[in-house]
Amino acid sequence: MTTAAPERGARAAAPRARLSRAIESAPLAVPLVLIAVVLTVATDRFLSVDNLTNVVVAAGIVAIPGLAMTLCIAMGEFDLSVGSTVSLTGAVTCTWIVGGHPAGVAMLVGLLVGAAVGLLNGLVVTKLGVTPFIATLATLVIVRGVSLAYTGGRDAIVSSSTLKFLAAGRVFGVPMPVVLTAVTALAAWWMVNRTRFGRWVCAIGSNREAARMSGLPVDRVRTTVYVIVGVAGGIWGLLISSQLQKGSGQLGLGFELDAITVVVIGGTSLLGGRASVVGTLLGAVLIETIRNGLNLLNTPPAYQRISIGLLLVVALTVQAMRRNAPAEALDDV
Amino acid sequence: MTSDTALPPAPGAQAPAPATETQRRWARQHSIGAVWETWGITAVLVVLLAASPLLSSDFLTVANLQSVLRESAYLGIVAAAMTLAVMNDTFDLSVGGQLALVSVTTLMGYAAGGTGLAVLVAVVTGVACGAVNGALVTAMRVPPFVATLGMLFVFRGVAYVLTQHGPKALPYSEIGSPFVKIGGLNLAGIPLPFLIMVAFYGAIWVLLRRTATGRRILAFGSSPEAARFCGISVHRIRMLIFVVIGFSVGVAALTYVSRVWTADGAAQDGFELRVIAAVVLGGTSLKGGKGTLIGTFSAVLLVGVLNDLLVSSGVDASYQRIVLGCVLITALAIDGLRTRFAAPGSFARVLPRRRREAPAP
Repeated sequence: MTTAAPERGARAAAPRARLSRAIESAPLAVPLVLIAVVLTVATDRFLSVDNLTNVVVAAGIVAIPGLAMTLCIAMGEFDLSVGSTVSLTGAVTCTWIVGGHPAGVAMLVGLLVGAAVGLLNGLVVTKLGVTPFIATLATLVIVRGVSLAYTGGRDAIVSSSTLKFLAAGRVFGVPMPVVLTAVTALAAWWMVNRTRFGRWVCAIGSNREAARMSGLPVDRVRTTVYVIVGVAGGIWGLLISSQLQKGSGQLGLGFELDAITVVVIGGTSLLGGRASVVGTLLGAVLIETIRNGLNLLNTPPAYQRISIGLLLVVALTVQAMRRNAPAEALDDV
Repeated sequence: MTSDTALPPAPGAQAPAPATETQRRWARQHSIGAVWETWGITAVLVVLLAASPLLSSDFLTVANLQSVLRESAYLGIVAAAMTLAVMNDTFDLSVGGQLALVSVTTLMGYAAGGTGLAVLVAVVTGVACGAVNGALVTAMRVPPFVATLGMLFVFRGVAYVLTQHGPKALPYSEIGSPFVKIGGLNLAGIPLPFLIMVAFYGAIWVLLRRTATGRRILAFGSSPEAARFCGISVHRIRMLIFVVIGFSVGVAALTYVSRVWTADGAAQDGFELRVIAAVVLGGTSLKGGKGTLIGTFSAVLLVGVLNDLLVSSGVDASYQRIVLGCVLITALAIDGLRTRFAAPGSFARVLPRRRREAPAP
C-alpha cells in the first residue's frame, strides 16, 4: 500500500523503483495526449501559442497549492481551509495597497496572513488534537468569515503594476506564474526526494504512531506542513487577486476541492505515505487542459463541473483497482 | 465483561470494586464522561435556551421557535443518516449536491404530476443518488471520501444542467396545494417538518440499537478488522448506509423545497459541511464506532438556535461564520477531554494523584 523508508539493500533497487514510479504517472500522460489530439482536431484555436500559454499558466497557478497539498496528503491529512486563505490573503493585500502601502509590503503581509492561517491549522490539529479534516473545515468557515468581515462585503479594487506583474508579467518571455511554479515544483521535488523532512512527512503518512515511536518530531513536522500549505494558499491568493486586480471575501469559494483534485488525479494516495510531485504537475495540466477544451467548445459551466467530478471518480477508480489488484483483493471479501 | 464472578480487587486499588456485574455496568454507563458523552450537547442546548431571553427578547415566542424547528428539519434529517455513516467510519460529502439535484427533480415532478409524483420523484432520486455512491464505494472500491467528493461535483452539475434555463420554482398559484403543506403545516402548533425529523430519528434509532444491522454498522466502525473476522460484509453495510443517506436527502428535500419554493444547481452550497459539523458537534467520533443520535439531534437544534440568536441580535453574517467555526473547534477540543474521561473511574484517577504515591501496605 505504502512504501516504508527504504532499508539496506533498497539502494540497489532504487533505479527500478524510480522506473516503476515513472510508469505510475504515465497513465496520466495517455489521456492528456488523447485529449490534446482531440482538441487539436475539434477546434482550430487549441494548438495556438496564446492558448497553450493560457493552459500552462492556469495549470501553474493551481499547481502551486497542489504541490503543498501533495505534502499534506502524503502525510495522510487534508487542509480544507485553503480556499478561504486565498480570499483572506487577496483581501488583506488589496486593502493594504488601497490604503497606500507599497505593493511589495502588502504582498508580504498577505503571505504572512497565509502563514498565520497555516500555523493556526497546525496548532489546532497538533495541540488540541482535533482531526485535521474537521479542524480545517472549521478554519475554512472562520477564515472566510474573517475575510468577509475584513472587507465589509465590498471588493477592494486595485490598480498596482507590481501586483499585476505577478500574474501577467514575463521573465525572459516566460510568464511569471510559470516561473513561480517551476521554482515551487523544484523545491517540492527536492524536499520530497532529497531531504530528511520529506522522508519524515512520508513516514508520518505511512504510520504516524511508528513515526512517533521512532522519535520523529511528529507534531513539529505536521505544523510545518500546514504552514507550507498556508503560504502556498497565500501565493494562490496573490496570483488570483493579481489576475482580477481585486480582493474580495467571495474569492476562492470551493478552491480547496480544486487543490485536492489535482493531487488525487496526480496519483498521490489518500492513504498517505507517498508523494508524487510530477503526478501533481501532470494532474494540474490535465485538469486545465480539459477546462480549456470545454471552454473552446463553448460548453456551459455546468458540464465542466460534471466532467471534472467524473474525472476525479475515474482517476480514483483506477487508483483503487491498481491498489486492490494483487495483494488486497482478498482483504475485503 | 460477560463473566459473572467479580474480579478480585488488585492490591492497592484506589476505589472499592463494585460487587456485582450489574453494579459495575451501571458504574460504567454512568461515569461522568459517559453521561457527558451522551447528554453533554443537550445540556449545552438547554443552557443556551435558558440564557436566550438575556440575549434576545424575541427569541422565546411561539412563532420564532416554530421557525427555528422548521428551519432545522432538513439539516437534522440528513444529519441522522450521516451519523450512521460517521459511526461506520465513512463520509458522504455529496449530500449538498444530492439535495440540490433532488430539490430540482422534485419541483419538476410536481410540475408534471402534482404532490404524489413529487414525493415519489424525491424519494427515488435520493435513493438512486445513494445507490450510485454505494456502488462506487463497494463495487469499484473507491475510497468513500473522494468517491463522494467527485459525486458532489457530478450531482450539482446535473442539477445545474437541469436548471440551465432558469431555476425551477413553484408558481404562486400553488399556495393551497398539499405539497406546500409539507413544509408549512403546523400540527398542534408543531411544524410538520420537525415531526418528520423526529419520526426519522426514531426510525434510525430502531435501526441502530434494535437490529443486527445496527450492531454491524457500529462494529465495523469500532474495528474494521475484528468485524471482518466476524464475517460482517462491509460492502453490504456501506451500500445500505449510502442508500439510507440518499433516502434521507429525498425526505429532507421535500421539507426544504416545499418551504423555499425554488431550487437550482447552487441550492444549499456547503450543505455537506454543515451536516458533518452537526454530527461531529453531537459527539460522534470521526474515528467511527461510537456516537449517539440524541447528540446529533441536539447539535442540529443548537446550531439552529445559535444561528437564530445571532441573526436576531443583529450580528453580521460574516461574524456568524466565525462564531460557528469557533463553536465547532471548541466542541472538538472538548471531545478530546471527553474521551479521556469516558472510562469508568477515570475522573477519580486524575484528581487524587497523591494517593498513588502513598506506599502500599
